[in-house]
Amino acid sequence: MSESEQKVIQIPEICRVEGHAAVNIEIKDGKVSAVKLDVFEGTRFFERIVLAHKYDEVAHIGSRVCAICSAGHVLAAIFSIEKIFAFKASAIELLYRELLHLGMIIESHATHICALALPDFLKTPQLHDFAENHPNEFSIWLNLRKLGAAIQTTVGGRPFHPVNMHVGSMSRYPEHEELKTLQTEIDACRDEASTLCNLLLGLTMPLSKTAEPNYLALIPHGESYGYFGDTVRSSEGWESSVSEYKTYLSETAVPGTHAKRTVGNGKPYMVGSLARLYFFSERLGDRARSIYEESPLARGQSNTILNNLAQGIELVEAMDRSNQIINQLLKMERGKKLKAGDFVPADMSGAGVGAVECPRGTLYHYYELDSAGLVKAADMLTPSAQNTARIEQDITCVVEHGLETNSPVLNEDLETLVRAYDPCNTCATHYVSVKVLD
Amino acid sequence: MLSSQGTVPRIAVESLTGCAGELLVILENLDKLLPYVRVVSFPFAQSQNDSGAVDITFLEGSVSNPHDLEKLKRIRAKSRWLVAVGNCAVWGCVQKSACSHCKVEDMLKAVYGQDSKIEVLPSTSLDEHVKVDVKLSGCPINATQFLSVTANLLQDHLPYITHKPVCLECKLKENPCVLIEDNLPCLGPVTAAGCGALCPSVGAACYGCWGPSQDAQMDAMAVILQEKGYAIDEVLNRLQSFGAPAKLFERMKFEVKNERV
Repeated sequence: MSESEQKVIQIPEICRVEGHAAVNIEIKDGKVSAVKLDVFEGTRFFERIVLAHKYDEVAHIGSRVCAICSAGHVLAAIFSIEKIFAFKASAIELLYRELLHLGMIIESHATHICALALPDFLKTPQLHDFAENHPNEFSIWLNLRKLGAAIQTTVGGRPFHPVNMHVGSMSRYPEHEELKTLQTEIDACRDEASTLCNLLLGLTMPLSKTAEPNYLALIPHGESYGYFGDTVRSSEGWESSVSEYKTYLSETAVPGTHAKRTVGNGKPYMVGSLARLYFFSERLGDRARSIYEESPLARGQSNTILNNLAQGIELVEAMDRSNQIINQLLKMERGKKLKAGDFVPADMSGAGVGAVECPRGTLYHYYELDSAGLVKAADMLTPSAQNTARIEQDITCVVEHGLETNSPVLNEDLETLVRAYDPCNTCATHYVSVKVLD
Repeated sequence: MLSSQGTVPRIAVESLTGCAGELLVILENLDKLLPYVRVVSFPFAQSQNDSGAVDITFLEGSVSNPHDLEKLKRIRAKSRWLVAVGNCAVWGCVQKSACSHCKVEDMLKAVYGQDSKIEVLPSTSLDEHVKVDVKLSGCPINATQFLSVTANLLQDHLPYITHKPVCLECKLKENPCVLIEDNLPCLGPVTAAGCGALCPSVGAACYGCWGPSQDAQMDAMAVILQEKGYAIDEVLNRLQSFGAPAKLFERMKFEVKNERV
């Protein structure tokens, strides 16, 4: 083979994603021979960090995996430990947890759509270009992210790494006045969220063909478009309890990179907003539903870059659902703070899996406790870790399509593709499956 | 402050190994800074970045691999003022606490297999490797503190950051003491203030996320928690979670079992 037939495409550092990652693509004889998403973030070994810590510390430590989805990590940890304790949180507690989670969805989606994804379409390589040339979009982002932060601060005590959420119950319940203030703030941002969706609806996709869809998402409890559940559904037709996640998902370490590759029943799959909307769009409220109906998603399109729009639709839904939850909370008595004796069994030993749908997809936390409530083993599997194999598959598909149609793919378009997954490499490096060591 | 070129000050926002929390706090408060500075490098938030000299670098994360260390040295060389932001950069945070219990090489083998080629270093704070001009801890940093530190630096003035214990802020808020009244394992007496006593203000125990206060008396704290019925191993794990350096525990007289890994 002559040298001219070999080619390497390298993106040494993908900017505007959380954490540090690079892409390497090798092409031989007109075919993609290797694709590697190389995560070079330092390893932190979270499953080791939590060992020997008490059950009530786990959520605070696990929160540090990732700031932007810290509420999700905290809740997944709490769900796992409450399963071990066979404790069922009260209805008011579940509503507050959902409200906190929606605050995270709003803040994370607003930041990803506006600050990380949009600059590709607005052609603003630097922050001051964005702020000066697109003041409307810049201000929509600020207002929406402030709303997400306000919800999380009211419920969780600060914009991220919440301090108010614990196994059993919250330590403080917001006053009804604080909830009403949130409603005023939600109302003030209502139109901006719709405006953002309209902007996303009008964008031209830089890539016409991406990999065929293969989705996985939690089936939400209840009737609404929720983010908590105990069973996953696959677009290939199977369902499974999250407690079995180690059997339907498998991970392999890839030499030279910190991100392991995860496949579901042997195939790369995508988690996140596109997957959730694929399964549960009929659960959306009126406003988000009507945006969805107008979108290419309702016509069966699955271009990965539409994940940005899918996040926009979820953002609208999260605002309306938050409003609904607050209406329910305003009709209830403020909750009661529980003491450890109210939910901790005499023998705390056991194992449990807690799962939530984070902004970027399904997050699993697994803990095993000893009888005194100290962690014996732990595992965390993050959405970005699960999406890695699918990102590589997507890049392969896009680059090969470019070669077949004789229209080479631009590096910047590949970056747009990777960015659409909203990858969080601060996460992707620390999820790891750990063999239990005695 | 005018930069050496006589133009608006040039700032960089960079990260090593961490949760991106400080990057988020800075990004979310950027609208207040943009009129006064030029953001020449912020790879998390913009794709066109310049590696040239800057007046201030805000650097988050711990040094956890050789790549981090190289990057830290490069950043130190280009920055007039290096500001360590967040517990990871100032103390090493949760990833450093694990290194005081387990060897990083053992963790790597357990997680990625015996023959893993991934390069790792035990997680450390920035000042173990280079001179750091300002240390602003927090997990995440407090936005008000961040803005006031930045305003000081833009006026060519090194900021004053208090490291008094959380109890000080908690008393000023007239909170009931969760350590004394509820027997919760509150670490407020040995943790640096700056958060506004967030946890005890909602009736929860401070878990030390800001890192140690000045002259933290870890031995006295351990005695109090033991008197409240907490096992010494559990107490030490709590005290070490958020990067408190080993030297603070030298006066302790307890036999500590190492049961991890």
